Amino acid sequence: MRLSAKARENIAGWLFVAPVIVILGLFMLLPILMAMWVSLTDWNGQGSPFKSGVPFVGFDNYSKLFTEDGLTRQDFMTSVRNNIYYVGIVVPVQTVLALGLALVVNSRMLKGKGFFRAAFFFPSVTSSVAISVVFLFIFASSGAVNNLLAFFGVQGPQWFADARGILHLVLGGLGVVDVDNPPAFLTSGGPFGLSWWDWLAGPSVAMSTIMLLVIWTTSGTFMLMFLAALQDIPVTLEEASMLDGAGRWKRLRFVTLPMLKPTLFLVLTMGIISTWQVFDQVYVMSQGAPGKTTLTPAYLSYTQAFDSFEYGTGTAISFVLFAIIVLFTIVQRWLLRERNA
Amino acid sequence: MATVRANHGARTVASTFVGYFILVFFALVFLYPFVIQLSASFKTEPNAALTPLNPVPDPFVTDAYHKVFLSTDMPLWLGNSLIVTIAITLGRVLLDSMAGYALARLRFRGRKALFSAVIAILAVPGVVLFIPKFLVLKQFGMYDTYTALILPIIADAGGVFIMKQFFESIPRSVEEAARIDGAGPWRTFWSVVLPMGRPALITLTIISFQSSWNELPHSLVAVQSPDLYTLPRGLAVLVSGSLGSGNQYPLKLGAAVLATIPVAIIFVVFQRYFVRGANEGADK
Amino acid sequence: MKRSNVRKAALSTAVGAVLLSSAACGGGSGFEETDDPAAQPTQASAGPAQLQVLIGSSGDAETKAVTDAAAAWGAATGNTATVTPAQDLGQQLGQAFAGDTPPDVFYVDAGRFADYASVGALEPYGDKISNATDFYESLRTTFTFDGKFYCAPKDFSTLALIVNTDLWSKAGLTDADIPTTWDQLTAVGEKLKAKDITPLALGDTRDRVGAFMVQAGGWVTSADGKTATADSPENLEALTYVQKLVKDKTAQFPKQLSAGWGGEAFGKGAAAMTIEGNWIKGAMTNDFPDVKYSVHELPAGPAGKGTLSFTTCWGIAAKSKNKEAAISFVEAMTTAEQQMTYAKAFGVMPSRQSAKDAYTAEFPNDAPFVNGADYAHGPVNAPKMDSVLADFDTGIQQLTSIAPKTLLERVQKNTQAALGE
Repeated sequence: MRLSAKARENIAGWLFVAPVIVILGLFMLLPILMAMWVSLTDWNGQGSPFKSGVPFVGFDNYSKLFTEDGLTRQDFMTSVRNNIYYVGIVVPVQTVLALGLALVVNSRMLKGKGFFRAAFFFPSVTSSVAISVVFLFIFASSGAVNNLLAFFGVQGPQWFADARGILHLVLGGLGVVDVDNPPAFLTSGGPFGLSWWDWLAGPSVAMSTIMLLVIWTTSGTFMLMFLAALQDIPVTLEEASMLDGAGRWKRLRFVTLPMLKPTLFLVLTMGIISTWQVFDQVYVMSQGAPGKTTLTPAYLSYTQAFDSFEYGTGTAISFVLFAIIVLFTIVQRWLLRERNA
Repeated sequence: MATVRANHGARTVASTFVGYFILVFFALVFLYPFVIQLSASFKTEPNAALTPLNPVPDPFVTDAYHKVFLSTDMPLWLGNSLIVTIAITLGRVLLDSMAGYALARLRFRGRKALFSAVIAILAVPGVVLFIPKFLVLKQFGMYDTYTALILPIIADAGGVFIMKQFFESIPRSVEEAARIDGAGPWRTFWSVVLPMGRPALITLTIISFQSSWNELPHSLVAVQSPDLYTLPRGLAVLVSGSLGSGNQYPLKLGAAVLATIPVAIIFVVFQRYFVRGANEGADK
Repeated sequence: MKRSNVRKAALSTAVGAVLLSSAACGGGSGFEETDDPAAQPTQASAGPAQLQVLIGSSGDAETKAVTDAAAAWGAATGNTATVTPAQDLGQQLGQAFAGDTPPDVFYVDAGRFADYASVGALEPYGDKISNATDFYESLRTTFTFDGKFYCAPKDFSTLALIVNTDLWSKAGLTDADIPTTWDQLTAVGEKLKAKDITPLALGDTRDRVGAFMVQAGGWVTSADGKTATADSPENLEALTYVQKLVKDKTAQFPKQLSAGWGGEAFGKGAAAMTIEGNWIKGAMTNDFPDVKYSVHELPAGPAGKGTLSFTTCWGIAAKSKNKEAAISFVEAMTTAEQQMTYAKAFGVMPSRQSAKDAYTAEFPNDAPFVNGADYAHGPVNAPKMDSVLADFDTGIQQLTSIAPKTLLERVQKNTQAALGE
């Protein structure tokens, strides 16, 4: 029997996509379904999680993260706090830096564009592990950064051993609070088992080094995206505004930036998504220390599972993280839709 | 009028100067760490600790590299990384472009749904899959094998997306001609479409190479025995692990240099494809 | 339009995945496996065994010593043992257990022992080792879980007071001033501070501060590891005392002295005393060969003498296919002679009492460490305590700004939760 051309194309299409479907199905979808099951159990890592003997605990692993007063919640909330500060600082800084660099590189008066573009982009293609090693060396207590600071008469901190929160330091430095003896109304209570004082710590000095590293590595990629968008802006538009006598800032504010809006939103989304997933740098540089101030949900989920054998809690943290990221993506998409309409 | 122009000229000179100052300053910030890394790897250990900023190693020694190759498993890690990276890159280029072609050109039932699924999978954050991937590999009896390092990431939704966009951008006429000559879908794909896709294929090759060469988390959940460590994994344990006394920074930095070199070379040679890759990502 | 596509896609792929997974279920025994250790063969084959040995090495010296000993055992028995130093022992073992690919023999840190034993990852072979009662009683207790002596202690170390003799005489102090009680420690601290010398470098974890709790008669858990006793008056007294030391600057944490650990601060001459274990000997010889020091037993507290012991055992995986060979390997690693070889190679103390005399004869200056074995307290011996104790450490690091009572109540609460009280 001869198949019709349409049927042949149908079969060919499925054959062409089959390998990818199988791989993605087996190693993306199936794992998620299995992990959903594990997050509802108390599996301790021994034997198979799909046997009858594995205790089913319902949503206990999730309630341990949010409602049950205990160490698990405390650790999880600490990691969330750390990551909130991390996202809140890294995303705006890298976006502004990337945009600024793109504007300067794109400026028509300057030469050597190719070189500078490559220089700014290079850190983002190298291995995150290798870069982490370099930063460990640069920020060592007698390392390059502290040498540089000493040159200006500043004594640098012991970066990776310093658990003090930046916000605490600033508030203490301004004399608003006494850091060694914080006001009782802040320490006495707060949401989710962490005191207000703890929530308001800010990123620790150790976490700041990781933030610097990430800003340093990712700005280049985003700069390229801005550059591409800048080059798409019709020259006539800029020239027209120049003839109108618009000054540089006015042109940036009313001509360039509005044209960059889609890219800006994209950069923000990608930044938020990737900063919520910070793992490699924590794994290599700090393992959550000092004082749990570089603990992030991604790293916590990993250690809960593989170090503490709490696979249920570990997978539950993964799914909460998943939800956080999806939430941010949806909010961002929604905002973008409003603007486009 | 003349004064206005002079004024304008002065402002241009000033802003050119400021522009170059910013560029050079940030070029230093972005590149000097690599200079420090490279030079410290040729320093003695006390010297690296004493003069971390100095770009010139004095005395110049290659002890760190001797030690990297002789007393760590660096040769093994390099070998594993090469095997894994090449396998993944070849696999991704072939499988992603097949799927991308089918989604772009072949009319089959469920195509649109499949493409939506690819988009949905693109949105799944990688870290969420750590433990799940481990569970699957363990369940299939693949844990702690080369298969575990390669197979789960031999196809990726991002690559499929890039290839689909690309194939949609090339004209149909050439394919139609091949079809009229009686070539089946595979022949058309293999000998007509694929050769036309060179730019996109190179971009995909480079992105795949770079991401699989640098991959750490997947190795963490896929293998456990030191025989299967890839370079980033080996480097990570070298840093956190028991190297004995002292920090041994020249050794660690030397190992990091070795991990950086292949990507650096490819970056210099194929820079424009990297740029394209970064922007393809932007179209998601 | 687009939305319905997404939904359709999600549905179809989910269906596909379910089909795939059910196919995998029906296809073979991959999803069902026996978990009963008895059902598994203990000896895979009669031929020579190939043991995988994973160690958490303290450095090149230890790796070499163990590798040599393993080679000697292999030559004597016709088996082979491949020794691999782990980079991160805890993580590697955790994944190996979960991945069903554990090494045959491996180091088990006393602090993690209960975790591994409670999930059934360890083979309880302890009493199959010849002359098992020769191991120090406190070490046997450390590696006993649910009444079963699981694994043979590899060696051990205890904490002692290390004194920098040059700084000591510079401050006009003599041997008679070596503190033997808390009061004397405070008093001698004042004298040192008067000469602008930091008296004590004290590690900021429960592994150092815990010694004061033992001296006060307290501990985190009861002796059987079943009840939380963190908020006892004894512990409060200990932490209050340590807090006073730190606030007065009689004691400083290594970080405050720009050092990674007590031994480094001590070696740099940043403090006249430190509280560390036997391992400080190697560090002093290698990194600070010119610093003269003496070793003394820790000052006694209200409840008398007290110190902490640290130990590791030779674990054998419950899933090992070469248990007989593994036990024979451990037997060879724990003879009194072999333990003396290890002691000479990397400075640990033999876990067998029969090797005590040989050790004190070889290292007369180490008597305070060895004597500590009589009154030393082992690590917390209960599962799921790792994160609780890590949190305790975080609290100790903030001891200047946190009330000891608040901290102990926190530890008590977490310990109770971990122990399931």
